[in-house]
Amino acid sequence: MYHFSFREIAPYLVQLPDAIWTTISLSVLTAILSGFLGIPGALARRSRWLLVRFIVGLYVEVMRNVPLLIVLYLVFFSLPQTGLRLDGFESALIALTLNSSAYMIEIFRSGLIAIPRVQYEAAASQGMTRLQTLRLVVLPQVLRVVYGPIGNQLVGIVLGSSLASVVTVAEITSWMDTAGSATFRYFETFIVAGAAYLAICQIINLARILTGRLLFGRHAAASR
Amino acid sequence: MTTGIADYAGYFLQGAAITIWISWLALLLSAVVGTIFAAAGLSSLWPLRVLATAYVETFRSIPILVLLFFCYFGLSLVFSINLSPFVAATIALTLELSSMMAVIVRAGIQSVSRGQWEAGLATGMRRWQVWRYIIMPQAIRVILPPSVGVYIAALKDSSLASIIGYVELTKTGLLVRESTGRNFQVLVVVAALYFVINYSISLVGAALEKRFQIVH
Repeated sequence: MYHFSFREIAPYLVQLPDAIWTTISLSVLTAILSGFLGIPGALARRSRWLLVRFIVGLYVEVMRNVPLLIVLYLVFFSLPQTGLRLDGFESALIALTLNSSAYMIEIFRSGLIAIPRVQYEAAASQGMTRLQTLRLVVLPQVLRVVYGPIGNQLVGIVLGSSLASVVTVAEITSWMDTAGSATFRYFETFIVAGAAYLAICQIINLARILTGRLLFGRHAAASR
Repeated sequence: MTTGIADYAGYFLQGAAITIWISWLALLLSAVVGTIFAAAGLSSLWPLRVLATAYVETFRSIPILVLLFFCYFGLSLVFSINLSPFVAATIALTLELSSMMAVIVRAGIQSVSRGQWEAGLATGMRRWQVWRYIIMPQAIRVILPPSVGVYIAALKDSSLASIIGYVELTKTGLLVRESTGRNFQVLVVVAALYFVINYSISLVGAALEKRFQIVH
């Protein structure tokens, strides 16, 4: 019978806050970078030039269909061959951002599609500039469509950041593996690491629901 | 491609076949497990609903890599059994995918209006007959298209099984990379194979979605 014991992994718990912090900072940086790349990317997917549409479309499809692990290996093993020196954290950040921006582009694109052409014409006929139209007419409506999927994507980023452990980044998964292999208490370290991920992801879910309630009232779409 | 890598074409195809196979197995298992938790989530008994929500939220929030480590090292230690990388990867993938399937199946069942349940029962059908002949044929139209997305997630996430030593497409690539020393080319070949497999399947998904579109 297995004797459940947290005592043996106790010495490793001091490293846990740092590991959680690494997961969070990697995820936040990825979210910010891919969020910023997503908006121009979505606009480019609706560009009037076929070549621009094609290139961005191809990028999105490649990133959505190739495993993140392969992208990470390409960044971590192959970019240094070109002379670029990257540590594990930077490689993970680049790979996660490459992957996540494809999803962000699709999310913002779905938001833009939701706005009918006539609204642009109506705004123009009111004498609004392009920027005013985007800020006052388009953006508020896009936000309403995209905040739900963005919340899900943030969870996706946190889950994806676990792959950074493969390229020597000391985040939560790496903590679990290190503490587990040193003490043979994989079950206990799994419970700790799982609880940490669960807490982070549920906080994101809660924030998503609250954002919807605060910005768009009680009838905000409960998208999953 | 250079001759060095072309010599390994057979291994790559074998790796791809294993990736397709383990993902398919995990998808089928997770459809079964997911349906059970979807039914639990729609139950009139609140403990079952709580259980279903806890299951879905837990496995949607834990990375597949963590589940893989847990299944491969943790379960082996707890139950004093030797799990092969294949079994461990199948269990881990099923845990992860079943949480997605539970949400999808639940939405499918809910897409059929309650009135049809009552109508079915009123015509003298038994509960399983209502399920079999009225609810499921309609729910499946809502369930199938997103299930293709789950299959693609399985194909991508199964790449992490390489980390616990399961020789599928990614691990095959890493082994070829070691023996040829061709870093970039090997990874690009692996990426291209994943892309071809997943993109073709996503086209099937798009076709299904079009075919099953419910016009109101």
